[in-house]
Amino acid sequence: MAKWGMVIDLEKCVGCQACTIACGMENTRLPGEHWQDVIFFQEGTYPNTELKWFPRPCMHCENPSCVAVCPTRATYKTEEGQVLVDWERCIGCKYCMIACPYGVRFYTEEAPRYGGPDLKAVFPAADAHSWSPPWKAPQEDWKHGVGVQPHDVVSKCTFCYHRVSKAPKGTADLDPSNPVMREYTPACVVACSPGARFFGDLSNPNSEVNKQIANKNGVRLLDHLGNRPQVYYLTGVGGAIPNTHTTKA
Amino acid sequence: MIAIREPRDFADVFKYLGALWREEGALRFLRICWNLGREPSAAGAWWKSCLIVGVVAGGYSLYMLFTVGHASFNTSSDGVNWGLAIATYVFFALTSSGLTFIASMPMVFGFRELYPIAKRAIWLAIITLIAGFSVLALELGHPFRMLWAMPTGLQVMSPMFWMGVFYSIDLVLLLIKFYLLWQEDWDSPLSHFVGTASFVAVILASGMLGLVFGSIVMRPMWYGSFTSIYYILTGALCGAAATVVTTYMAYDFDRAKMPPVLREMAEGDHMPKVFATLIGIALVMILTRFWTGLWSNLDGLEGFHALARSPLFYGEVLIGLGLPFLMMLSSRIEHKPGMQMAAAFLVLGAMFINRYEFIVGGQLVPMFKGTWVASLTEYTPSLTEWALTAFGFAIALGLYALGEKLFNLSATPQSLMVARAGDRRMAH
Ligand code: SF4
Ligand code: SF4
Ligand code: SF4
Repeated sequence: MAKWGMVIDLEKCVGCQACTIACGMENTRLPGEHWQDVIFFQEGTYPNTELKWFPRPCMHCENPSCVAVCPTRATYKTEEGQVLVDWERCIGCKYCMIACPYGVRFYTEEAPRYGGPDLKAVFPAADAHSWSPPWKAPQEDWKHGVGVQPHDVVSKCTFCYHRVSKAPKGTADLDPSNPVMREYTPACVVACSPGARFFGDLSNPNSEVNKQIANKNGVRLLDHLGNRPQVYYLTGVGGAIPNTHTTKA
Repeated sequence: MIAIREPRDFADVFKYLGALWREEGALRFLRICWNLGREPSAAGAWWKSCLIVGVVAGGYSLYMLFTVGHASFNTSSDGVNWGLAIATYVFFALTSSGLTFIASMPMVFGFRELYPIAKRAIWLAIITLIAGFSVLALELGHPFRMLWAMPTGLQVMSPMFWMGVFYSIDLVLLLIKFYLLWQEDWDSPLSHFVGTASFVAVILASGMLGLVFGSIVMRPMWYGSFTSIYYILTGALCGAAATVVTTYMAYDFDRAKMPPVLREMAEGDHMPKVFATLIGIALVMILTRFWTGLWSNLDGLEGFHALARSPLFYGEVLIGLGLPFLMMLSSRIEHKPGMQMAAAFLVLGAMFINRYEFIVGGQLVPMFKGTWVASLTEYTPSLTEWALTAFGFAIALGLYALGEKLFNLSATPQSLMVARAGDRRMAH
């Protein structure tokens, strides 16, 4: 059984946010509903300050606090390690949003995040969907939180479950430069032009993600909270992830 | 016209209300509900305004929820996920728990002089819980789905799951307890057993509600077992304040109309001192919580600085709790009915602010949300959220009105009244 994980090399990441856009296209997100976001923050105090950034998908934690608090088991962890939301069980209590330390979850029923226009009102759905975008990706699987969600549920990054779950058994690396694997690779990894994102099997000692973590000293965001993310960052020279939530002074 | 009489059991309530409705017609039925209690009374006028508020606020919030949906709330994934509606739910749930503690005093711990308020306290505990659940149901995305998804999910790790379990048990036991008192069963082994079981259930329920927040290490302003204790004890304070207010209201704000046992209690030293003690405990807990919050540099506690700068905090601590504390300690004014009521109202107001501040304050530090999100989240409840809160209060007060109309909420065991009458004869 694979244990999917991601490595983001902050030495290579240029902060272009192509990953955010690719995720939005792939998963039909609303503007601002960034399952994958790039967080910018400032290190040091003026005049000795530097602008830093790190991309932030769902960490698909080994100890996911969102799963533990969900009273209905709508949020669950698959055997391959993805943390998903079953939109047919979610009651919209938002407890998972309270308990996730990385702020990666979104409640569907909210006023537009970028000051409008409210695309859900412009493209309303006649059925149970929360909206009906003029163009959307074909996949839909509410049991795994894939597609346009229904009203009043919580949504989040699925590690592109609809792609990754189709990868051949025993795959160690989902490398977008390998044409065979490309269609199984998460959209953000495919879109990253500097090649800063890696995706593969953390349980396979020979996988590229494991080699990167070992050789380049992979770290996890807010590791002291004990959620044990399955997303690792390589900070190298110049890259950084913050130690606290308060990324601004 | 049918005479207003106390129904015999729960089925009879509906039969009786149905009969009243049919006999009197809808309009006169509403008039009877409208002219509640020993009309015309001070309490009656108060109820009328509450009912108007209820219809207007309930109508508006339901209209908004059905047309705009939860997007009419100002809560957001960027920061404050749980807003005013959850604070209102917590306020009601803990007030209900506090009222159950008060009702347990005579029934479990043998403070027999509190028997005259037991039935009213239990009724209030039932309706505040119903009001809280109603607000919660309107806040949830899919309240009906909850009814099957929680029992089939059985996520025993989730504090919210256990909160649901314990509050449901609590509600059932309260209904049984109310039924027993209604049937004049004050002293049977069954009555005692239900009383004790309900006391245990309510400790678990309010404690678990505390753990819904206290378990979340990612939200350090809430984290820790202290939150449970804090909820249980401040809940008791709310229960005591609600009892003082409604007891006076039931006797038209006139102590002379109270039965002797109650009058003695209201005039005596005990009640104000117990009340002052509960306020004092709440004050100590709130101030020590703020002390550690302001003193520590731990990531996530920055919200305390924002809270301590808000005028609400000073209103709560100085006017809502400090002032009543001093009032209930002063031997000159602690006995005055107006002062006791004012203290109780102030405490209820302060505790409502406290619930809001606790729940919203705990989410002020955003969790890496968005690139350009400010260091502390801004949140002001929307009109729909305020209307929902007002609706919750109207449900509680409206059902209370109905209770005073239908049930003899001042019922007291015969034995107690006889014993008291005997005492007084001896004194003469
Ligand atoms: S990052 Fe948050 S939502 Fe994702 S698995 Fe971890 S706790 Fe759950
Ligand atoms: S909002 Fe949905 S997924 Fe999140 S805890 Fe509640 S039921 Fe679970
Ligand atoms: S696409 Fe790649 S380089 Fe651009 S922000 Fe995302 S991770 Fe960084």
